[in-house]
Amino acid sequence: MNSIDTLTGFLDRFGCLQIAETLATDSMTHGKAFAAIWVDIDRFKHVNESFGHLGGDEVIKILAARFRNRISGRAELSRIGGDEFVFLIPRCDISQAQMLAGELASTVEEPIAIGSLTLHPTASIGIAIHNPGEDSLAMLERADRAMFAAKTRGGSCIVCSGDEPIPGRIGVILAREEISIEGTLHTALATGGLCLHYQPIINANGHIEAVEALMRCMVNGENIPPGKFIPVAEKTGLVTRLGEWSLLEGAMHARRLQDAGYHTKVAINVSRAQLISPKFTQALHAALICSNAKPELVELELTESLFMDISETVQKNLKNAIASGVVLAIDDFGTGYSCLANLKDIPAGKLKLDRAFVTVLPEDSRALSVVKAMTQLGHELGMTVVAEGCERQEEIDALFDVGVDAIQGFFYARPMPEETLIPWLQKRNTI
Amino acid sequence: MTVPRPQSPRSEVDNLFERSILNLGIPPCPAVLERFIAEMNKDDPDFNRMATIIITDVGLSAGLIKTANSPFFGLRQRVRSVTEALLILGLQASSHAVAGIILHNSFPNVPNLERFWDASARIARLSGWLAQRLDIHGLRAEDAYTFGLFRDCGIPVLLGRFHNYETVLDIANRDAERNFIEVEELELPTNHAMVGCILAQSWWLPKEICLAIRNHHDLEGLGSTNSQLPMLSRQLIATSQLAEHLMQHLLGLSLTQEWPKLGSACLKLLGLEEGQLEALYSDAQSIVPNEE
Repeated sequence: MNSIDTLTGFLDRFGCLQIAETLATDSMTHGKAFAAIWVDIDRFKHVNESFGHLGGDEVIKILAARFRNRISGRAELSRIGGDEFVFLIPRCDISQAQMLAGELASTVEEPIAIGSLTLHPTASIGIAIHNPGEDSLAMLERADRAMFAAKTRGGSCIVCSGDEPIPGRIGVILAREEISIEGTLHTALATGGLCLHYQPIINANGHIEAVEALMRCMVNGENIPPGKFIPVAEKTGLVTRLGEWSLLEGAMHARRLQDAGYHTKVAINVSRAQLISPKFTQALHAALICSNAKPELVELELTESLFMDISETVQKNLKNAIASGVVLAIDDFGTGYSCLANLKDIPAGKLKLDRAFVTVLPEDSRALSVVKAMTQLGHELGMTVVAEGCERQEEIDALFDVGVDAIQGFFYARPMPEETLIPWLQKRNTI
Repeated sequence: MTVPRPQSPRSEVDNLFERSILNLGIPPCPAVLERFIAEMNKDDPDFNRMATIIITDVGLSAGLIKTANSPFFGLRQRVRSVTEALLILGLQASSHAVAGIILHNSFPNVPNLERFWDASARIARLSGWLAQRLDIHGLRAEDAYTFGLFRDCGIPVLLGRFHNYETVLDIANRDAERNFIEVEELELPTNHAMVGCILAQSWWLPKEICLAIRNHHDLEGLGSTNSQLPMLSRQLIATSQLAEHLMQHLLGLSLTQEWPKLGSACLKLLGLEEGQLEALYSDAQSIVPNEE
């Protein structure tokens, strides 16, 4: 007799494995493969945290009842852990399994009312098809890995075994806090919890050379620092959507400044994920068209991690960006992956020196010599040179002395929201 | 057409927003929608306060009531007030309906758009009806309706910016071989699906709807076994393509070549056989005249 999960009446982990073994033997006899669909409910820990484990159990029972109504008779149903279900489907090919996985995803996504609150559950789903002669446990592990790949893509999606990224490249295990931040980011994207703050960049004459747009994330009154949410966005693939959102929002801001009579450039950070996409050029033009901003007032700051590998697609995207009229800036220059060869290969108009050189000025004379040399090189290549992270008058004096063109840092202003920036600009009377 | 105006004391930023709207016809994130969503996201949203926000704009109020009275909601009684419409539609669907109406009202400078909006509205209503009729699990009528409204919102933007875009559209619509987007990109640096997606993202529409807008001409994303598109996005695309096909079939129009290109992938996704189309033509016939 198979072992049963008491909460749902489905097979438990052991029962699931027994059935998988039987199906593997059957498939040898009939020559027809079977499928495993591994379903994990996204962010289920929030349910347990919010409603306690009894509340969590209620949700599992509701989902189990839905699964039973939906696919009973077509699959062997099992619950193998807290919020993880495995469905084994006899005589099933990949396309049938995908259809069924789609049905299961839809089944999960129906809202669940608990008291006065409504949950909107989603699921990460992995699919594996049994290979002839394959050990059934190995096949279940493949389905689990595919499910995990779906989870790292932000959840609410289906991944077939074989399509998941190579473990260790993207598929690293997300820490508990990261999963919670990921959930917050999804909420921010659904409810307008993102905004841009702007930090002025001032040249030696005291004029505003540009403002850098910096993303902020606020959900339910809680401010998530960029140092925490940006790395999670990069891991989960959400960074592309965040990047496209800030491209349009930043360009709209440039347009509004332009309308108010300020010909101030807006520098927008562009991630590696955006630039390696073959659709980057289309997204950039879409933002320029929707905002109607003058392209020369939009600056794209290229993160130094881009320089790990400058593929043909990246080169093409950068060339197209220049052709559109926007300005390219190399960010955090002098550390990490950035190197002199990048200056040769990337047609940038601005060089932003990493803050690591600034914070030791003016005392560290060797650092000052390096800054001077980088500034001269930048000028030789026709670039504007900017130093970031300046907080003290002595740093600023030393930087302008060695020829740096403009400076960004708390000394002049902290990043501020749009409604504060315009009065700030008025006060500096820079029209 | 009306441009939504915030009721609170005007700030410098509000003035800038409004100037942008007037110049471009594109709202950054319309103030009414922003206030509506802010109320909706409260722990205990107040329907009366939400109604108060909506009724500051007559066009919006009328549009919301009209949406709630659409045939696909199948109400026995007609909705007569904004509050009733909000209660019937529910919070999420109401916010999408409001966004859709604002979208429609946001392109005052682009001429000859009435036919475009009529077609969008009809596809949206037919999509909502189809989602109910086909009973595709998890595909909600209101999502299918919202997607139908927003699917082509990049088109009016491009019509307003490129004088030759009408010709480009005409060529893309008639091309039986090449992908629609491919044809657009021969003439433009971008395409209407990307523009629509970027706008939808800036209006905080759900991920699945944004991805469906971005990929609604993409056969690979729709039909491939390796598709990275969420199932809901694929179902939304398939439903709206079928809705467009039904509309063209019933009205005797064949303005696009999308159904020959994408139709079989759509039918497969929706679990339909070619032979079942006849019944849908016949059933949809009773729906389409209701909308005129």
